Amino acid sequence: MRRLRGHSSLPLGMLALAALGALLLALSLGSAPLSLSELWAAARGQGGLLASTLVWELRLPRALSAFAVGGLLAVAGALMQVLLRNPLADPYVLGLSGGASIGALAAMLAGLGALLISSAAFAGALFSTLLVFGLAHGRGGWTPARLLLTGVVVASGWGAVITLMLALSPAERLPGMLYWLMGDLAYARAPWPPLLLLMGVCAVLVPLGRSLNVLARGALPAAALGVNVRPLEWGIYILASLLTAAAVTTAGSIGFVGLVIPHMLRLIVGNDQRRLLPACALAGGTLLVLADTLARTVIAPEQLPVGVITALLGVPTFLFLLHRSR
Amino acid sequence: MGLLAAHQLVIDVPNRPAQPLDLTITPGQVWGVLGPNGAGKTTLLHTLAGLRAPRSGSVTLDDTPLASLGRRQVAQRLGLVFQERMESFPATVLETALIGRHPFLSAWQQEGRADYTRAQHALECLDIAHLRDRLMSTLSGGERQRVALATLLTQDPAIWLADEPTNHLDLHHQSAVMALMAEQAGKGKSVVMCLHDLNLAARWCDHVLLLYPNGEARVGERDALLITEILEPLFQQRLAMGDIDGNRVFMPRG
Amino acid sequence: MASSTRRLTLGVALGLALCLTQGLGAGAAQAHHHGRCVVDDRDREVCLHNPARRIATLSPGATELTYAAGAGDQVVAVVSYSDYPPEAKEVPSVGSHTRIDLEALVSLAPDLAVGWVTGNPAEQLETLETLGVAVFYIEPRSIEGVASAIERLARLAGTEQAGQRVADTFRQQMGMLETQFAGRQPVSTFYQVWNEPLMSVNDQHLIGQVIQLCGGTNVVGEQPRLVPRLDDEVVLAANPEAIVAGGMGEENRRWLTHWEQYPHLAAVANQHLFFVPPSLIQRPTPRLVQGAKILCDQLQSVRRQRGAL
Repeated sequence: MRRLRGHSSLPLGMLALAALGALLLALSLGSAPLSLSELWAAARGQGGLLASTLVWELRLPRALSAFAVGGLLAVAGALMQVLLRNPLADPYVLGLSGGASIGALAAMLAGLGALLISSAAFAGALFSTLLVFGLAHGRGGWTPARLLLTGVVVASGWGAVITLMLALSPAERLPGMLYWLMGDLAYARAPWPPLLLLMGVCAVLVPLGRSLNVLARGALPAAALGVNVRPLEWGIYILASLLTAAAVTTAGSIGFVGLVIPHMLRLIVGNDQRRLLPACALAGGTLLVLADTLARTVIAPEQLPVGVITALLGVPTFLFLLHRSR
Repeated sequence: MGLLAAHQLVIDVPNRPAQPLDLTITPGQVWGVLGPNGAGKTTLLHTLAGLRAPRSGSVTLDDTPLASLGRRQVAQRLGLVFQERMESFPATVLETALIGRHPFLSAWQQEGRADYTRAQHALECLDIAHLRDRLMSTLSGGERQRVALATLLTQDPAIWLADEPTNHLDLHHQSAVMALMAEQAGKGKSVVMCLHDLNLAARWCDHVLLLYPNGEARVGERDALLITEILEPLFQQRLAMGDIDGNRVFMPRG
Repeated sequence: MASSTRRLTLGVALGLALCLTQGLGAGAAQAHHHGRCVVDDRDREVCLHNPARRIATLSPGATELTYAAGAGDQVVAVVSYSDYPPEAKEVPSVGSHTRIDLEALVSLAPDLAVGWVTGNPAEQLETLETLGVAVFYIEPRSIEGVASAIERLARLAGTEQAGQRVADTFRQQMGMLETQFAGRQPVSTFYQVWNEPLMSVNDQHLIGQVIQLCGGTNVVGEQPRLVPRLDDEVVLAANPEAIVAGGMGEENRRWLTHWEQYPHLAAVANQHLFFVPPSLIQRPTPRLVQGAKILCDQLQSVRRQRGAL
């Protein structure tokens, strides 16, 4: 293929443009029709109160949240895949979303407010992370296979606990719990924390990228090439967990993005983590912004769960790329 | 520089009595590690590279204990070709060779022109320049083996450890790779290879380390150790020895 | 652009500013002693300077109660399945009660949103409040709660007279049923709120309260959960005299035929399988009077047959 793939910034530039386009689209589309001139007026801080409320108070925070969550999930997915040396890994594979869900559901059962539900979800995610890591560590240190197995078993344990909680919960609390489990950006409110985290993480990961490339080839070869494998793996694990926890806390467990975006981009930009990770941040964000925009406009005023749209958009795109790459 | 030494080294193979090993590998030498399956050749090689902790004893690199050196410092002076490799993710041949430069680049540094030139040169040496942009997953076993060697050549360390470098290679490339190893030794590198082929060891190595299943090791010059009286008990196989062009050759006997 | 961004990051401040400058709503603390204030079902005080003129009702029950409070003309937005009274179907919908289309809602410029404590996403209603829309949460759990919700909604909407009339009539009619039936011979009753899985209600549930009002004894009334999930064995063991079910639709007795496979059940043997249209008994609205009347008459027929035997 192309010799200069290693240096080309063309795909990244195009992804950045796509992200910008998706955000603009999200700002201009909604169930309340706004003309281009109204949009332009609102964008300049002029125009009617309604238009500026719609654009600045409703659409922009939600679009930014969607971008941040999509980016975080895609980057976390790519990191988990390197950590476990398994292309089938996703951000939730080690039981993190289960832990977050249990925290959130418990907070809902206790009748706590939205902020405390988010905090409980975050705490649950981190608890699950530490639990899996502690269990996988065992006596002889851990291997990716052991970590994966522990995580998958813990995740199915969480699944059972979630079902139990749903079965035993008062009926009037069930709807709220089920919607949380489905994941939706309607509940996302403060876009800045996840967005800042996403940007911070990209800055941290760029210098780590080459080490990740080496680690992706296995722990021993990486050690032979001068990588401090154990600290790096710890760091990736903690980082990926933090990103996932932030995403889940913002919008519930939105599936699909974290698994498929890294794969899609590997087909386009290759597996060099220095390009793959920023590309994941851009493409994951773009996909979720588009999906959320469609979810809230396609059959407005009825709102669709965003997970439906991510899958409907992502599956054919991914299959097309996969088919073309053979 | 490139002086690798083992002091009273006992490699960590479970259920085996301690058989301390002393060994000094000096620049310019080509060592062959020979022994039957399961004798611990790979474990020894990984211990010498500092990838496995020994049960006791130590390994020094230029008189500094490996354990006190950072992985990056070690990797700048010592490189390894593994017997088995896994490729979970797509990578091109050139990308794979280029990771040999990893120990020499700082975190923020991108591979520069010089690094590409080295990698390109290594691919040419291993006769795989034409595969440069191919994905590793599309290569044959022998081609992958040569990419691994090209990666080590790109890394260009003072000490070369290679676990069965001729695996999967056809005859021509076996010879070419062994010649490359000898050429590196000629440039002052230390070379240690685990080998299965007695004849390759007899032809290209100047020192050998014989590793017995009970952990015992014999170390010495090739001509003193590569004789049927020693090799037959080592491999539990009767052997015939001949001489072709001044090189010893061994054949299994019925 | 810069000033807009600043406004965005200070979203809460803007919400307050909107309140003060536009007089849209009055969630702000200063307003407590001036406007019309009521306590909602989350125990928060909700105050409006002026009667609500544009009301969004965010659950079918809230729609019905708001119309009952005499404020139907002020309702500008409802959610899906707001089917009663029929006029409500003509009002623009802003999505489902679980996923509200906030844009559509905000575009309709409501000054009061009637929320559902456990049915609406809390995050969305909080966003609505930061945008300056007063949110009044209701979720009546008792007969008196229904009457009081109507009174409080009427207060916020400035339709106190009409609301008071409806609330008083409701209290009076439910009181008459209670006087008439509550003291009669108890009839052991099983109420089926859902079929798969089988679910019932306990004594604390509004339906459970109606059963007691009609002189019935709920066979699972002591269950700790408001809506216990059960299996058939519980019903077979309790052998109630009457089995009452709602159904998916308004005229659907299908859930009752399930019990006919147990002919030895007293309720089956004596043909005391009763259907009450779910919207008349499962919604905390004034129509509960109709549902209670039907149920009380059904239990009374059990007593009559008992006397005849």
